[in-house]
Amino acid sequence: MKIYDFVGAPNPRRVRVFLAEKGINNVPFEQVNIATADNRKPDFLKINPMGGIPVLELDDGTHIAESVAICRYFETIKPEPALMGVDAKDKAVVEMWNRRMEFEVLSMAAGSFRNTSDFFKGRIPQVKEYGEVCKNAAVKRLEWLDTVLADREFIAGPRYTIADITALIGIDFGRTTQIRIQENQKNLARWHQAVSSRPSAKA
Amino acid sequence: MKIYDFAFAPNPRRLRIFVAEKGLKIPVEQVDIFTGKNRTPEMLAKNPAGGLPVMELDDGTHLAESVAICRYLESLHPEPNMMGKNSREQADIEMWNRRVELGLFAAAGRAFQHTNELFKDRLKQFPEYGATQREAVTQQLQWLDAQIGNKPFIAGERFTIADITAEVAVDFAAQMASVTADPGLKNLARWHQSVSSRPSAKA
Repeated sequence: MKIYDFVGAPNPRRVRVFLAEKGINNVPFEQVNIATADNRKPDFLKINPMGGIPVLELDDGTHIAESVAICRYFETIKPEPALMGVDAKDKAVVEMWNRRMEFEVLSMAAGSFRNTSDFFKGRIPQVKEYGEVCKNAAVKRLEWLDTVLADREFIAGPRYTIADITALIGIDFGRTTQIRIQENQKNLARWHQAVSSRPSAKA
Repeated sequence: MKIYDFAFAPNPRRLRIFVAEKGLKIPVEQVDIFTGKNRTPEMLAKNPAGGLPVMELDDGTHLAESVAICRYLESLHPEPNMMGKNSREQADIEMWNRRVELGLFAAAGRAFQHTNELFKDRLKQFPEYGATQREAVTQQLQWLDAQIGNKPFIAGERFTIADITAEVAVDFAAQMASVTADPGLKNLARWHQSVSSRPSAKA
């Protein structure tokens, strides 16, 4: 088993933090350089035809792509600590919050970065004005998230879950285009401090 | 239990097809997105993200996000299985579902939002960005054709949630974003014909 990884990109970090929270530390990582587009070369497209990273390679040669699919694999082979819910309803609630964090925070931060950064210049058609819209949407959603966190410790409720991982990485990635937690967002700041101080945040 | 639904939107259709494939009958209540009924304070109390569908449980809990709702129903009614029977299958089906969501489904949604008259007064449209997303839909359709190859279904041998996402995305792209699959994409055409002839397609 190994994981194709790239330090510096948000999705691979989701899986690294997830594994750290699970206490799984025996999976080797192999770096695939996105900056030089090694993930778009024919050899890598055989591993993941979408070209994204991370990818989990199982011992029988199967490849599992998509961060959350990889996380779900590890959740089922090592259920504790549960990061994706404990029963039917809780699993659905965690998935709902994880998806909200993906769509409202992480993908808005990504849309802002993809459409305005020099990193993507020449790689994808950039529409700067759309990048601004994404940035503004992310800023708005952080205001909302601050209110959500007023009466709960973590994003999906009383326990740390995959939704916290997605939100943490979405917010940290937002810094690349100056999307930041505002001074008056005390709940969000308290939560961010708490999740950032867990050892897994360094993964 | 009931579902807040809107007959003309793609995400609610994903859930309706899933429910039909499971052989379930769940009461639905229409919420008109065209007149903004999903953004009333009453609906925002049920789903602060404002999207549809939303499922109301008998204890008053509201579940949002199509796939989270599907996962809840899958837990309660495991057969016919549509999200994987074991670790490997669950990860594999989630990978395929997300590939279609993040690729074709999301591109079709953005193409629609940035080019269709319906969204003119609701969000800042960037037709230039919409054009890049239409192009992305075309590329994703070609990609999907290659991925389907000789497989009967998107994730392999049986019908899964990944087929539902792809079916809804292909139909939505054609109807609402004016991007029709090239009939020369034979694998895609064969698969689409097959899934469209299931009774659930009418849901």
